Amino acid sequence: VIYARALGDTLRHTLEADPRVVMLGEDILDPYGGAFKVTRGLSTDFPTRVRTTPISEAAIAGVSAGLALAGYRPIAEIMFGDFVSLCFDQIANHIAKYGAMYDGAVTCPVVIRTPSGGGRGYGPTHSQSLEKHFLGLPHLRVVAGSLWHDPVTLFDGFLADDLPVLHIEHKLLYPLQVATNGDASLATIGRDGSRGFPPTVSIRLVAREDCSLTVVAYGYQAELARRVLERLAIEEELFAELLVPAQLSPVDWAPLERSVAATGSLLTVEESTGGWSWGTEIAAELGSRLFGRLRRAPSVLASARDVIPSAPDREAETLVGERQIEAAVREAAA
Amino acid sequence: MKPVMIPTTDVNSDTAIVTAWRVPDRSPVRAGELVAEVETSKAVLDVLAPDAGYLLRSADEGEQVSLTEPLARLFPTSEALEAHAARAAEPAARAAAAASEDVRATAPATRRAAELGVDLASLATGELVTVRMVEAAAANGATATPPDLPSPLDAPAGVERVAVIGAGFGANQVIDIFAADVAKRAVAIVDDDRSRWAGRVEEVPIVGGTQQLEGLFTKGCFDSAVIAVGTSTAARKRLRELCAALGIPLTNAIDRTARICSDVELGTGNVICAHCHLGVATRVGDNNMLSAYNSFDHHNVLGSDIATGPGCMTSGLVGIGDGARLGTGIFVEPHVEIGQGAQVASGAVIVNSVPPGHAVKRRVATMTTVPIRDRPAPVGPARNGSS
Repeated sequence: VIYARALGDTLRHTLEADPRVVMLGEDILDPYGGAFKVTRGLSTDFPTRVRTTPISEAAIAGVSAGLALAGYRPIAEIMFGDFVSLCFDQIANHIAKYGAMYDGAVTCPVVIRTPSGGGRGYGPTHSQSLEKHFLGLPHLRVVAGSLWHDPVTLFDGFLADDLPVLHIEHKLLYPLQVATNGDASLATIGRDGSRGFPPTVSIRLVAREDCSLTVVAYGYQAELARRVLERLAIEEELFAELLVPAQLSPVDWAPLERSVAATGSLLTVEESTGGWSWGTEIAAELGSRLFGRLRRAPSVLASARDVIPSAPDREAETLVGERQIEAAVREAAA
Repeated sequence: MKPVMIPTTDVNSDTAIVTAWRVPDRSPVRAGELVAEVETSKAVLDVLAPDAGYLLRSADEGEQVSLTEPLARLFPTSEALEAHAARAAEPAARAAAAASEDVRATAPATRRAAELGVDLASLATGELVTVRMVEAAAANGATATPPDLPSPLDAPAGVERVAVIGAGFGANQVIDIFAADVAKRAVAIVDDDRSRWAGRVEEVPIVGGTQQLEGLFTKGCFDSAVIAVGTSTAARKRLRELCAALGIPLTNAIDRTARICSDVELGTGNVICAHCHLGVATRVGDNNMLSAYNSFDHHNVLGSDIATGPGCMTSGLVGIGDGARLGTGIFVEPHVEIGQGAQVASGAVIVNSVPPGHAVKRRVATMTTVPIRDRPAPVGPARNGSS
């Protein structure tokens, strides 16, 4: 089953399982069913709980905050992650703060879902990965879907918790098959994590002790890194462990620290623009925790600090892709 | 048969991703029924059946499809569909059967298994097979039964019997050197490329891979070995260390035309080809392969595991580190030190020392090769004319 379908089934499951759940977003009603068809069919079956909105992301976030304060569990869709900047005030100054500001007397458990990322030629304003600007906001969880994290488990976790969540869905993941246990790949898929965090997935073809590098990546970049690492392992016996966290912020450090302590080298991979990023935070923290136990300084791979061109060849130069990951892996595994 | 095309006026896309199939494969559909959704770079599009019929998909969910190829085909009857599908499936089924028998191994492990004669299928444990696992299996005796391997040659008493390691072109050179040496004889060749086994180079039999060395040496089939690998200094070093570990002494192969001057100190396992010159008081380590017409002038110091091409010339007091690799036709000024593992391109003139592990690159004189044209006969009076 493809990721978009798995996600749609998950949303249906939340509507069925929890009567407090409501969904809102632009053009999410049938027959259109949302720009990426994730919500297709839901408005037909839950016409009062799945609602379309005017073209105002600030309003979507504000209405969601009100619904959450009133005891609902809103799941909002922002059509493109680029527009989540229009929700920034509602998220940073209101949604994430209420619980702490009123000392738990109220909660504001809004879930905001949004497709992110490029690779489709959508150009400068429909291709970005702006989630890095939300990392580190107190009391906000930023979670990125992957092919190895079951969305049902993730969303059940969101609903069981009273914290707001920003859920990032790379749009190139939508048409990909989600990983199942019956995969033909020989990779060992492990799960490691601390209480209160979604698991960090570990993917490797040989024992951790035989890996010369830990690569940490999320979302679609994790799938690209998996392809590169599988190729390098098969063709050259260059072995690395890939760690795929679902939660970007706050970070569950323990699984990352365990792996990097064993491999002695760290590479982070993300599609956002370079600098002030998820990767730099991980590199700084693990560099500090494992000071003296690393073979080399941690490496951070991110996209060019520039606008994203529409032309496919220029877009490929700007955004992190398999070519850039392979070069960075070779350097960091040395 | 009627093709189901993706309806689009989008000039920015050549392909689309099939995001969902709305009807099962091979099922009957109505005219105008929604059969699939595809995503182009602009939008997700609904694909409707152009007619009633039985639908056969051309792509799976998640697959990228061309906008100019049919996304599916409609057949008037299910029999027509099955007949078409059977024809299309034959090559795919064969490929799938072949893949299921494959053991997943890394490319280096596959090559190593071929060298060592390890059957990869015997290592099928569900894990990815690596070089280390192949070598461990070989050490445990998991090699396939070797073909009938020839025995080493004999030699008259008092003649040193030498095993040549490597059956490549270096072996021809070494065997040629021994042919003119009454004190030494090449009696066997070992090579890890199984396809060479039981063959011969100049009458000398290839008796198996390097794992044969220990047994043959213990049985007293040869007295010493020489490494005839010229292309890789790393391989020379690895093989030298293997011989050392097995207690097999290396021997020099020195062409009778080579000139070894007074006070030269020479190690073991060196291959010194025709017309080489080792100048006065030059010291040479072990296991070097020096091609023809090399001249190392007085008071040079050569390390070990070095390989050179023909025509390398050094002045006095030059040093060349372990594992250095020199191309063809290189000149080296006095007092130059070429560091360990350094590589020097053909035709270089080395005036300064080269640090260890560095490469000296050189733009080899470019050359244009053109076909010779038939020239038209010259116009005018003939030069030897009588006019």
